[in-house]
Amino acid sequence: MIVQEAQYRDWMLAALAGDTQAYRLLLGGLTRNLRSYFARRLDNGAAEDAVQETLIAIHAKRATYDPALPFTAWVYGIARYKLIDEYRRSKRRATVPLDEAAELFGHDAAQDAIARRDVTKLLDKLPEAKRRLVKDIKLDGVSIADAAMRTGLSESAVKVTVHRAIKSLGEGLEGGDADR
Amino acid sequence: MRTDDLIAHLAEELGPVKPGSVTRLLLVALAVGLAASAIVMLSVLGPRHHFAVAITGFGMWVKIAYTFILAALGFWLVERAGRPGADMLRPAMMLALPVLVIVSLAALQMAAPGADMHRLVMGQSARVCAVLIVMVAAPSLVAAFWALRQLAPTRLGLAGAGAGLFAGSLGAFVYAFHCLEDSAPFVAIWYTLGIALTTAIGAFAGRWALRW
Repeated sequence: MIVQEAQYRDWMLAALAGDTQAYRLLLGGLTRNLRSYFARRLDNGAAEDAVQETLIAIHAKRATYDPALPFTAWVYGIARYKLIDEYRRSKRRATVPLDEAAELFGHDAAQDAIARRDVTKLLDKLPEAKRRLVKDIKLDGVSIADAAMRTGLSESAVKVTVHRAIKSLGEGLEGGDADR
Repeated sequence: MRTDDLIAHLAEELGPVKPGSVTRLLLVALAVGLAASAIVMLSVLGPRHHFAVAITGFGMWVKIAYTFILAALGFWLVERAGRPGADMLRPAMMLALPVLVIVSLAALQMAAPGADMHRLVMGQSARVCAVLIVMVAAPSLVAAFWALRQLAPTRLGLAGAGAGLFAGSLGAFVYAFHCLEDSAPFVAIWYTLGIALTTAIGAFAGRWALRW
């Protein structure tokens, strides 16, 4: 979300100055966020309509963005207004759940993919046996007892191995050598 | 229309936005509202007698300062209300300051030896003051709503209340040039009531009149 905020804000400021290319990138990126936001809250057809309505509102009301404030909060305010508008029109629900700007940007698929790629890249630095253990226990949620049974190690040995592997990865992130 | 086509179309339409365009729009609303409220006051009520003498008096300046500061905070509230994601908390909290000052001043005048409580509080026009302020404020409220609808208010009740406070304070400011009352307790009670009524009207009307 922090990465998105900085990137989106840059694009928005460029767009406000008249940069068409930045504006295209901005609207394209926001469309992905908006699709997943509305898809979880509206029916299929209504969701895509809401995406388009929000994009039009972003366009028509772009002068109301104050560069001193977070851009994501601005977009979220508009998206939520459009959601309430849609509920009001369809009279489906009188109240809208209290959610936050993170709802619009937190579960972004592209961000998840980048994070997953980073973790995988980091894990690749571990020897095969250790990598398997860390992946099973920390990412896939395998219990320590099951992992111990499969590897033939004692439970405490599994814990120590995982702990050390994570620690060495952490040192790798801080600029040390993860391969030792 | 496909969403990709829509984006292409919007990008084609993109023109640069001048910085400060929101403030300029609100200043237009301020000028138009103020002029219209002044016309209502002058044509329906008329300016007070002995205007040139009154303008130098302390009571007149209390009214002018109190309503001017509230109008400035109201302007700020409307500006925040028109921007999604901006919060109105800071200007809303600052409203306490002028109210605190006028209440202290009123208490001081009422505690003075030999103070005529009834005259200080009720003056000559207590029964009409608040209603007349709402009347004078009405065109300013319309101007504030007109401006807000071009912005993007997302919490319509709150935005309407901000517009109501702005218009009510402007109306009270204009009304001060008609009103003969010069006591702080009178202003603290009846001016504040007139502004509060306009704020309530704005909050109520905003829920539907500010939809965009």
